[in-house]
Amino acid sequence: MILLRNGRIFDGKNLGENCEDLLLKDGVVARRGADLSAEGAEVFDLGGKLICPGFIDLHVHFRDPGYEWREDTESGARAAASGGYTTVVTMPNTDPAVDNPVAVEYLVARGKRAGASRVLPSGCVSKGRQGKQLAELALMAESGAVIFTDDGAPVSDAKLLKTALLYTRDLDVRIMEHPEEPSLTAKSQVNEGAVSAATGMKGCPASAEVIDIQRGIILSRETDSPIHFTHVSTELGIDAIRQAKKEGLPVTCDVTPHHLSLDETYVLVSRFSPAYKVSPPLRTRKDVKALWDAVADGTADAIVTDHAPYHMDDKDLPFQEALSGIASLECAVAAVLDTWAKTGRPVPLERLLELFTSGPAALLSRQWRSLGSLREGSPADVTVLDLEAIKRVDVNQWKSKARICPWDGEMLQGWPVMALVEGRVVMNRLKDTE
Amino acid sequence: MEWRHKNLITLEGWTREELGFFLDQTEYMEELLSRPIKKVPALRGKIVVNCFFENSTRTRSSFEIAGKVLSADVINWSSSGSSASKGESLRDTVWTLEAMAADAVVVRHGEVGVPDYLAKKLKRASIFNAGDGTNGHPTQALLDLYTARQKLGNLEGARMAIIGDVLHSRVARSNIQAFRKMGVHVTLSGPATLMPENTASLGVGYVSDAREAARGADILYFLRMQRERQEDGLIPSIDEYHRRWGGTDSLVSLSSPRAVVMHPGPMNRGMEIASSVADGPRSVILEQVRSGVAVRMALLYLCLGGVR
Amino acid sequence: MKIRQEVRYFRPLLFRPFRKLFCLSPAGGKGFFYRKEGDGEVTAQTERRWTEKASVLGKEDMERILRRIAVEIVERNKGLEQVILLGIQRRGVYLAARLREMLKESEKVKVPTGELDITLYRDDISVLADQPVVHSTSVPGDITGKRVVLVDDVLFTGRTVRAALDAITDLGRPERVQLAVLIDRGHRELPIAADYVGKTVPTSRSENVEVRVKELDGEDRVVICERTGGTESGVEA
Repeated sequence: MILLRNGRIFDGKNLGENCEDLLLKDGVVARRGADLSAEGAEVFDLGGKLICPGFIDLHVHFRDPGYEWREDTESGARAAASGGYTTVVTMPNTDPAVDNPVAVEYLVARGKRAGASRVLPSGCVSKGRQGKQLAELALMAESGAVIFTDDGAPVSDAKLLKTALLYTRDLDVRIMEHPEEPSLTAKSQVNEGAVSAATGMKGCPASAEVIDIQRGIILSRETDSPIHFTHVSTELGIDAIRQAKKEGLPVTCDVTPHHLSLDETYVLVSRFSPAYKVSPPLRTRKDVKALWDAVADGTADAIVTDHAPYHMDDKDLPFQEALSGIASLECAVAAVLDTWAKTGRPVPLERLLELFTSGPAALLSRQWRSLGSLREGSPADVTVLDLEAIKRVDVNQWKSKARICPWDGEMLQGWPVMALVEGRVVMNRLKDTE
Repeated sequence: MEWRHKNLITLEGWTREELGFFLDQTEYMEELLSRPIKKVPALRGKIVVNCFFENSTRTRSSFEIAGKVLSADVINWSSSGSSASKGESLRDTVWTLEAMAADAVVVRHGEVGVPDYLAKKLKRASIFNAGDGTNGHPTQALLDLYTARQKLGNLEGARMAIIGDVLHSRVARSNIQAFRKMGVHVTLSGPATLMPENTASLGVGYVSDAREAARGADILYFLRMQRERQEDGLIPSIDEYHRRWGGTDSLVSLSSPRAVVMHPGPMNRGMEIASSVADGPRSVILEQVRSGVAVRMALLYLCLGGVR
Repeated sequence: MKIRQEVRYFRPLLFRPFRKLFCLSPAGGKGFFYRKEGDGEVTAQTERRWTEKASVLGKEDMERILRRIAVEIVERNKGLEQVILLGIQRRGVYLAARLREMLKESEKVKVPTGELDITLYRDDISVLADQPVVHSTSVPGDITGKRVVLVDDVLFTGRTVRAALDAITDLGRPERVQLAVLIDRGHRELPIAADYVGKTVPTSRSENVEVRVKELDGEDRVVICERTGGTESGVEA
């Protein structure tokens, strides 16, 4: 039994004005109120910090099975907990790909064994991510897959995507589409714009993202089936999704911390540091502003890290040779809060917190939908935030195997300082802020 | 002036003052090359490694002579790494260079960002970019700037037309930086398929008609046109390119009375430049080549010979 | 809430003023979100700071002394045949020019005069506080077989003259080399002596002798300065 005392509680929608207490018992939220008392409970006095539902990251790469030298389920789950996340959804672009129920069960078991954040696997849309045949979606859903995606690539065949959308309409597990038109992005490494002009590197145009988004929206309308677009990075993409939402279509999307904080100029200013090489690439400042607008007006439903860990052999290379991807689980929340604070708090805090909690929870299958609330009886997943804490990011302390990150060495303000999964403490840094 | 640059990877961080100072030093270096004994002990005991992953006799020899005139020990190291082993060769190269106690590494590589990578990894050595992919070739820009200044004097307000395949040209990119810093107005011209998408962000204008770019220009800079561009379908034919953008006598006649014709070499005569122009009275192409050694001497001396 | 670690300056990420692409280096090299990478910057050299202590020669003194040196040059060389004046950059050049004018006046002979930059021959670049800037060298014709008179403003450790001799050797083979200096301030580190000395001025190592010429400094004067800060080794000649 755990009593979290003296915190302002965010319930997935609203942030309490006054300090309250939260009692967790037997793995669920037992009570919420002022001045609670509980015999025999372990008490944590939070001194006014924010008590939120456990943060959910819908998009991480744990490289397990097949690329364990980059990350595995255990190091990944511990990294997530360290970063304040209580639930993560792993991507299926592993080797072998997660396209059958056995693979799903393997990951569920490994996740449980890690004993840190909750690991929920996603499954491939197509067999082997080849984009040709539908994978065993229903069986995977039964085994515990919470999302279907061919992430790393779009579902390039329109017919296959339509079939998949039809199939999943009644499955309560939705499709997450990686929006990219491959013929436009072949060999590109940066955004098409100022940086590609200045360096001659092949650029990835905004059209590559929005073309696939438009296609997905139209198919979603035709099949009346939900579709979710991940790591949307362009103004054009956001506009298309906003329009679809206005029409009442079941279209959702997420954005990443790096696309909210960084832009393409960092590639140049950092003198081609591979830490800034990511797909989709860092875009223009206009796009960054559009993403924050999407956060403000509800177009964006979640923030995901797209945690992409690599070994130094793959990442500590000249820019053009390094692999694409940013690993950020352990500092992503801080990066977002820091940017939010430094840009003058462009959106209400509740809105931001929604995108870590109730927003992503609503996109999971039914059994997990109560994760983003802190209602009585829902799983005791809690993330405690300290908005005043300032700490330097140090990749050498990371639980993740990754050692390159754009925020390495930076002082960020606003950190998760405690995380509980089903009432079990998986991360506790309260002492650090005393 | 206190010389504060240890490396030359890009001219972006150089001030206009520093560029002017550098060109002055180059002039004094040129004098050295006219002496009977072309050797001074300034860089005695320094090790300069020419690390060329792409072939180049011209630039490499230029750096080699520059180093040797200054009494440095120059090592030539060519590596034609296949794309499969590229990653390994660079990381191993770093260790080897560290072990060699190199004071300077001159690097040319087919990829953008390689000199920056070396600069981050090698704390001791000065890194000189002899060409990184399509991104930059700063010493070429310096010698182009030097030649232009010798011929035209003060470049403030001068007009320059860079004509050709800018999209794939590191020479063009570095020249745009260098000449703009000295107050030159730069206009690009060439087929639209061979231009970067966003020329405005480079601070230059673009006109598709070469005649318009050349009209009244003080500097006509013709870029090398590679035949592969025709094979890739980016230009219709060599003949058409030559007629519309080639350095012909009629095009050159549109330029200002004091105009000079430049080319980074090697030239495709009859393609991007006519022989009559290349050998003509306005051409300073030979001077460009000659100034290459002096420029690299000044660079080596200033970055290596000074206080650390 | 106490702050765990020291706070550096905050740098708003999004609202950094958007610099035109080719001027992206952050102003002053600071205020920059990430570790500054790329062009390694030379660490700042400690500045020499000198204060004037005493004036040794004024304008008329300097002129008188140079005339006397001009006469001695004629005497010692039994005329001006084969004599070449080489001023050592930077102020030696101006002194050499004045000697040439005086010799033209008195002997009606135009002595060939040139400039010699010895920066590239120095052996002490790594201990200098000054930036080793190269200046021009122009030698009037072939010096082989000639009598070269090197002209410099101050003779100190002798290393400049040693470098000048190296430079001369690369330029040709003169019959003889003589040295004329306006001031000899002692503290030789090499076995070098001047043939013509304007004035001997004993100094301590922490002092500096500055020869000022109208063309560069706006006045003709020789002063002794004292160091008020900076590195151990001062400028030497």
